[in-house]
Amino acid sequence: MWGIFLESVVIFKNYMGYHENHFLAGIYLFVLLYLWLTEKDKRRRVLFVYAPTLILFLFFCPLFRKVFVRLMEDSETYYRLLWLLQMSIVSAYGLIRLMGKHRRIGLAVVCLAIVACGDYVYDSEHISRAQNAYHLPQEAVDIVDMIEPEEGRITALVPADLIYYVRQYSTDIELPYGREMLIARWDYYNAMYEAMEEAEVIDTPAFAELARTYPCSYVILKEDREVREPLTDYGYSVYGQVGEYVVYKDMTL
Amino acid sequence: MLAVISLIFWLLVIPFCIGLIPANFISAEKRSPGFVLLSGYFGMWAIFELAAVPAVLWVEYNNFKVASSVFTVLTLLGAAAGVWLLYGNKKSGRQGLIWGNARMPDFQGVTSNLKAKKDENVRNVDRSRVRAAVIAKRFLTGAGVEWLLFFALLGFQLYKAAAFTSFDGDDAYYVVESLIAQEAGVMYRILPLTGGSTGLDVRHAMAVFPMWVAFVSVRAGMHATIVSHVVMPLVLIPLTYLLYYEIGRALFAETAGSGEKQSAVNGAAGSGGRVLHKENLPIFMILMAVFQIFGNVSLYTNETFFLTRTWQGKALAGSLVIPALFWVFLQIYNKGVRKGRTDAGLWILLVCVNMTAGVCSSIAVFLVCILIAVATFCLAVAERDWKILFKVGAACIPNVVYMGIYVFMAYSYLLK
Repeated sequence: MWGIFLESVVIFKNYMGYHENHFLAGIYLFVLLYLWLTEKDKRRRVLFVYAPTLILFLFFCPLFRKVFVRLMEDSETYYRLLWLLQMSIVSAYGLIRLMGKHRRIGLAVVCLAIVACGDYVYDSEHISRAQNAYHLPQEAVDIVDMIEPEEGRITALVPADLIYYVRQYSTDIELPYGREMLIARWDYYNAMYEAMEEAEVIDTPAFAELARTYPCSYVILKEDREVREPLTDYGYSVYGQVGEYVVYKDMTL
Repeated sequence: MLAVISLIFWLLVIPFCIGLIPANFISAEKRSPGFVLLSGYFGMWAIFELAAVPAVLWVEYNNFKVASSVFTVLTLLGAAAGVWLLYGNKKSGRQGLIWGNARMPDFQGVTSNLKAKKDENVRNVDRSRVRAAVIAKRFLTGAGVEWLLFFALLGFQLYKAAAFTSFDGDDAYYVVESLIAQEAGVMYRILPLTGGSTGLDVRHAMAVFPMWVAFVSVRAGMHATIVSHVVMPLVLIPLTYLLYYEIGRALFAETAGSGEKQSAVNGAAGSGGRVLHKENLPIFMILMAVFQIFGNVSLYTNETFFLTRTWQGKALAGSLVIPALFWVFLQIYNKGVRKGRTDAGLWILLVCVNMTAGVCSSIAVFLVCILIAVATFCLAVAERDWKILFKVGAACIPNVVYMGIYVFMAYSYLLK
């Protein structure tokens, strides 16, 4: 039970970003304490004081965590219990109470505190300027436009960094493996993935044979991807190039 | 152009008309355009759950087309019922379903003010300059500056949502599910990651939010990925702030002069004088916006989900569905002219919010049950009102049914 409790503590710290010196949780806990001491309206106490406190208690309760994980069959989403705290709403309400009549100066101080303790979402490494209306990399769109059949579906083998995007643009392109292979902790095995991504140098004969079992009409490789022998020696022809990606077509299919 | 008209129809007109139904069953002082639109959205998603989940589970071929047809008929009927109630109210001279007791915004005020000023001392000044001066004065005094600041923050978030892309690996599942439904007309029968056929993954299949996105895409004739990544944020971000506005309105409801008197009525006599004054509403909205923008303390917070995965059901659960429960609970005991009777419209809304949780994600159903159980238990103790346990329990029946189906489908192989 102690071990489960400590796991919950780790989840809480990761959620709140303590390890990256973010302290919005500090503001929230301060506000919660402040509301415990000052909020007199019993209905608001229920929503902004008692309920969050009980939820925090449940979150750290090992027995509750065991039940939650058993019911949901998933321990990775336990952190979502903390969404019930609605830290922003509770904090904003408590901070406005704390400001009293000093609205504007209070607003300035509180905003500075949030900026200092929080993290600006738009400087995340996952956010970048959109290249098109689909919000997909333009190279993925161009490659699919190049290989997409007029009728029916085809299978294409694409590098890992395109796997997320190809089928968001067209479901007429099927893949030998998908995103599941890119999540290491899911621990899937796929021979085609091993041959395409894990091998330091692509073993062309075995690779071509494997790709034809699906069958992959197109193989897309980065131009600097090392191959033992050129794919063109094994029935492929260069169909086109988009940026750093070379598109090969299997001429035997 | 046709796409824009279609989006306006399905994302504004239809939910607004549906929202007139719960608005008809609440006291007039609680009505507002925000209440109508929000409750309409929750009602629309509840209807979508009724149309889509049975189709996912029990219709094998073209299940998306079946669900879309049923949903279209039901929503149009719901919207027609809302319009009929609006018409009936107007005809019988009762207080409006949209504005309730509140007066329409005083657009005339600016004009009359303008006229007076013109008569007094600004006869020679250009009319448009006076108008600008009056509007500027209105904004720069009182809470106008704060509102401008809030709208600047909201505009900034919308700009970022439209012009910037946020990578999330889960899109390879959810967005592709929407696209498959749009292109192939089937729900959850094709593996989104690769394109192979698959058995029913109950955990994801019952959370039909991507199918609603697909429905909007089909009706608008737009690619589901564009609808997910561009249209949904431009709709759901303002909708979420509308909910925060309604929560703020419930929290900071006092008007100038009502002060302590109204506090006492609301049981908030000791809550801090002018703190609950409605001048604090824009402050609340600014703080909410700043919290969203700087709430990215980890990948897991609901604030991060809200601005980086707006189009995914779980983001909707964290930012809209769970706060909606706060909104409903803040109003349940705020009795209106119905003298002691809790407004039936709020209970309809609570049922719809519960059903929307199921549309968003299976875990959200469990989460809202926890929050509702905790809050209701505390409310029952605080108010010495044990009946509320039964009332709220009844409003949670959809969640129980949802979880029952989930468990049955997930473990039915044991019965074979």
